[in-house]
Amino acid sequence: MTNRRTFMKATAFAALPGGLALPGMARAQSQLREIRMVEAGGLSGDSIEAGYIRPFTARTGIRVARENPNPLGKLRAMVESRSITAVLFELGSLSMAIADAAGLIEPLDWAAINPDPMFDEAKLPNAFGYQYYSTLMAWRSDAKPPRSWADFWDVQNFPGKRTLPDNVTLALPMALLADGVAPAQLYPLDLNRAFRKLERIKGSVSVWWGAGAQPPQLLKDNEVQYAASYSGRVAGQAGINMTYAQGLLDLSYFVVPKGANPAEKAAAMGLLHEMSVARNQATAAEVIPYTGASPALEQLLPQARLDEFPTTRSNKDVQVAGNPAWWAQNRDAAERRWQEFKLGL
Amino acid sequence: MASTRRFPVELGYVLPLLLLMLAMFILPIVLMLARSVTQPEWTIEHYRSLIETSVYLRVLGRTLRIAVITTIACAVLGYPLAYWIRGLSPQRQVLATALVVLPFWISILVRSYAWIVVLGNAGVVNRILLDLGLVGAPVAFLYNELGVIIGTTNVLLPFLVLPLFAAMVRIDDRLLHAAESLGASRGTVFRRVFFPLSLPALAAGSILVFILTFGFFITPAILGGGRVPMVANALDLLINQFARWEAAAALSTVLLVVTLTCFAISRWVGARNATS
Repeated sequence: MTNRRTFMKATAFAALPGGLALPGMARAQSQLREIRMVEAGGLSGDSIEAGYIRPFTARTGIRVARENPNPLGKLRAMVESRSITAVLFELGSLSMAIADAAGLIEPLDWAAINPDPMFDEAKLPNAFGYQYYSTLMAWRSDAKPPRSWADFWDVQNFPGKRTLPDNVTLALPMALLADGVAPAQLYPLDLNRAFRKLERIKGSVSVWWGAGAQPPQLLKDNEVQYAASYSGRVAGQAGINMTYAQGLLDLSYFVVPKGANPAEKAAAMGLLHEMSVARNQATAAEVIPYTGASPALEQLLPQARLDEFPTTRSNKDVQVAGNPAWWAQNRDAAERRWQEFKLGL
Repeated sequence: MASTRRFPVELGYVLPLLLLMLAMFILPIVLMLARSVTQPEWTIEHYRSLIETSVYLRVLGRTLRIAVITTIACAVLGYPLAYWIRGLSPQRQVLATALVVLPFWISILVRSYAWIVVLGNAGVVNRILLDLGLVGAPVAFLYNELGVIIGTTNVLLPFLVLPLFAAMVRIDDRLLHAAESLGASRGTVFRRVFFPLSLPALAAGSILVFILTFGFFITPAILGGGRVPMVANALDLLINQFARWEAAAALSTVLLVVTLTCFAISRWVGARNATS
């Protein structure tokens, strides 16, 4: 027990810069000047600033400091050291499921958020889904367009090199869809079948990408002709085509780390409300073509570029939803097999 | 023994740094590694699953192999380079060492991406090879183990060249002249006088390169194309993506033990050479 406590002190030390925010805990809510959030960075972070933080600060006078990136390890360090330096933390759906199962996050106050209408999957007791994105097929304009993952896997009729994500949670569903599994029957995933299918394409995969910036670059450099890419990285890019058909639709969430200061949390609920407002979501989507969870958003998006966004009616219906809960349960086994698969590359 | 009486005074000088290192560096690391046996209670479960699944140990094995190859590549490239710089005039030596150090001032990320421009399918080297008709299709320099080794060798070469050069300039020319005046050929002088004198620095530089390769993260991530997972990449996954710190601590402990063992062996070999 002492061991554990000393460790916490040690990590609290590590998080010292954020620890300076601690005096804020003593302050009354009326004096709250600033809250902090951890987000994914890049254009996505800029879109939060433009779409949500600006109207929130204008309404409440509370500034929002952003920091990034947002690895799950950082959240665990915050919670275990009891030094909650940011009241809002962005997590992908799998990280959110892991954090939820590990008790790292606390319930949101939905009454205080008082959201505008939202899609159901975005409105969880412990998490606020704020940004849809998709991992989909993209290809050089001079390559033959694939219609499905089965086409993507078919290197005879669709010749060229591929890049796939170095991410087991994305690669396995793609492989199973390519093998003809119906989207509704994907989960629970058949690991044996998925890895057999991956064995078939691995010779044509030049790069298993780790960073979202890689697929568009690899396409432009002609290193690969076909890519599985995040939608926002390839939407509207010259020389690159894409389709939402069988894209893996996913959702990023904001959560509140367990043990957050109540006054800051109360203020953060106000910021989450701004994230539910369709008009604000449209402003954010101008910065990066990812979309918020409002069903009313579609009319507010630039109509000429509607096909770029993941949640328009025509795009949302042709995509495949994930299953974070299944992944939270089975990630260890799947990940070990993934590492074994990669050792055999 | 005068030296033992002076010992506490000398200790006083290093004490602040020692305490700082202990409190801010050693202790947190020990506590972090201890999680591999103390969480959630006293257990060897994390080590058992590490050995049973074996995949992370095989990643460690691959890392070791890349470290060995990188070390050999650095030694083979670096030794002639350092030897050549030693023979230059002092002004040119400054220029040459500056060129060796220059890459240090460029971000490792930029250097890794620069290799893509040079060695990619549409890169400079492949275009020249194709234009000259030496190859029919682009050579796969990148996104494999070769790409990673090119990257690590590029980054780590100065770590070998600089200490080696520093040791070489200290070798007394008169020793070499003496050997020549006793009738040794230039080859014999190099083999029996110069090389043995430079060997400790070569060994020290090599072990430095070897150990540094263990921790490489960006280079395998970019130039390996995700096909060459090294142990740092596996640790990143366990710590940051899956928050499985206990498994990461167990793997880190194994990594530390392997590194220290390699270091101890090199010191032992070095000490034996010095006495023989």
